[in-house]
Amino acid sequence: MSEATVKEVLDITGDTCPITFVKTKLKLEQLEPGEVLEVILRGGEPLQNVPRSVKSEGHQVLKLEQLGDGRYKLLIRRGAD
Amino acid sequence: MPVDYNELKKGGFLKQKQKDMYSMRLRSIGGNLTAEQLRSVAELADKYGRGYVHVTTRQGVEIPWVHIENYDRIQREIRALGLTPGTCGPRIRTVIACPGNEICNFGLVDARGMAEILDATFFGREVPMKTKLAVSGCPNSCAKPQENDLGFVGAVEPVYRHELCIGCGLCAEVCPGKAITMQDGHPVLETANCLHEGNCISSCPVDAWVPGRQGYHTYAGGKIGRRPQLGVKVAEFVQEGQVVPLVEAALQVFKTLGKTHERLADTINRVGAEEFTRRLHQEWAQGQDDGQWEEAANS
Repeated sequence: MSEATVKEVLDITGDTCPITFVKTKLKLEQLEPGEVLEVILRGGEPLQNVPRSVKSEGHQVLKLEQLGDGRYKLLIRRGAD
Repeated sequence: MPVDYNELKKGGFLKQKQKDMYSMRLRSIGGNLTAEQLRSVAELADKYGRGYVHVTTRQGVEIPWVHIENYDRIQREIRALGLTPGTCGPRIRTVIACPGNEICNFGLVDARGMAEILDATFFGREVPMKTKLAVSGCPNSCAKPQENDLGFVGAVEPVYRHELCIGCGLCAEVCPGKAITMQDGHPVLETANCLHEGNCISSCPVDAWVPGRQGYHTYAGGKIGRRPQLGVKVAEFVQEGQVVPLVEAALQVFKTLGKTHERLADTINRVGAEEFTRRLHQEWAQGQDDGQWEEAANS
C-alpha cells in the first residue's frame, strides 16, 4: 500500500463531542473522494466516536498513530459521494 | 365508601399521607411518551392534580394530589386518552429501557422494542414479590439492568479476520475491557477480558472485526433498598425470541423457590447463584420441550 499524501490537517484536540465528529465530517466533505485528511484528536471520547462515525459515513481510516500526551493522529481517506 | 387499597395499588393509585389524597401512577412503554400523551398528562394534572407531575425512576409519571372522589372519573379519562397506568405491590413493574439501536450509536439490540414486548407479556402480572425488569442496548447499561430483578444487556462477540487487517490499532485503543493488544502489528484478543461491547467491530475501518455471537446477556437478582445488590449473570447471548421464554422460566423458578416477601435477590442468596442458574436453565429447556413457549417466542 503506497503512503497516502495528506491533503489537509484538522486539529480537534480542543473540541468536545459531537463537535469533534461534526468538524471532521465537514472537513472530509470538502475533499475530493480518495483524498486524505489528517486529524489530530484526544484519546477517550473523541477516539471512541470519530473513527466509527466517519466509517458509517463511508470514509476509511487508514492509519492511527499515538503522539503521546493523550493525543492521536488519524489518517482518513475521503469516501465516494 | 370502604376503600380497597390493594385494588387501588394494583391500578397505580397510590395513597398519599394526606387524607383522601392519591398519586396516579402512569407508565411509559419502553421509556417513550408521545407528544399527545404528554399533552393528555398535562391536562389531567391540571384537572385532577395540582398542575404538576413527578417523573419516576422507572420512566413513569405520577400525578399527585388526586382526590379519591375523582377516582372513577380519572380512570375513565386515562383509558379514553390511551394512557397506561403503572402498578404497585407484588406485581411485575414497569419494564424500563434505553433507546437501544433504534437511535443510539452504541446500541447492539432493539432494547426499547424488547421492553415493549416484555411490557405486553408481563406487566402487572401477580408475582410472589415485586419484580422489576430492565433492558439495555449495550454494556454501558444506561437502563441499569444489574439493579433490576431481571436485566437484559445487548452483547456481541467479535470475530477476527486476519487477512483484512491493516494494523491500524484502533481496536486496541477503543476496547473498554483492554482486551486487545497489538502484537507484531496485529490485534490479539484476550477473550477473558472481552466485555462484548463491540467497539472493535464498529471502529474497524476494514471490517477485520465482525460480529460473532450476539444477543442479550441476562442478569438476575439485582435490587437496591436497604441492602443493595447487583444481579448475577445467568445467561449469555440470549436470542431475541428466547427472552420471553427465559423470563417465564425465571418467574417459575422464583415462584417455586421463593419465600414470602422475598425479592429474587434474596432467593438467589439463599439457594446460591449456581443452583439458581442451574434451575433456571433446566426450566427454560423444559419450556422448549413442552413447546408451550413457541407462541410467545414467535409473537
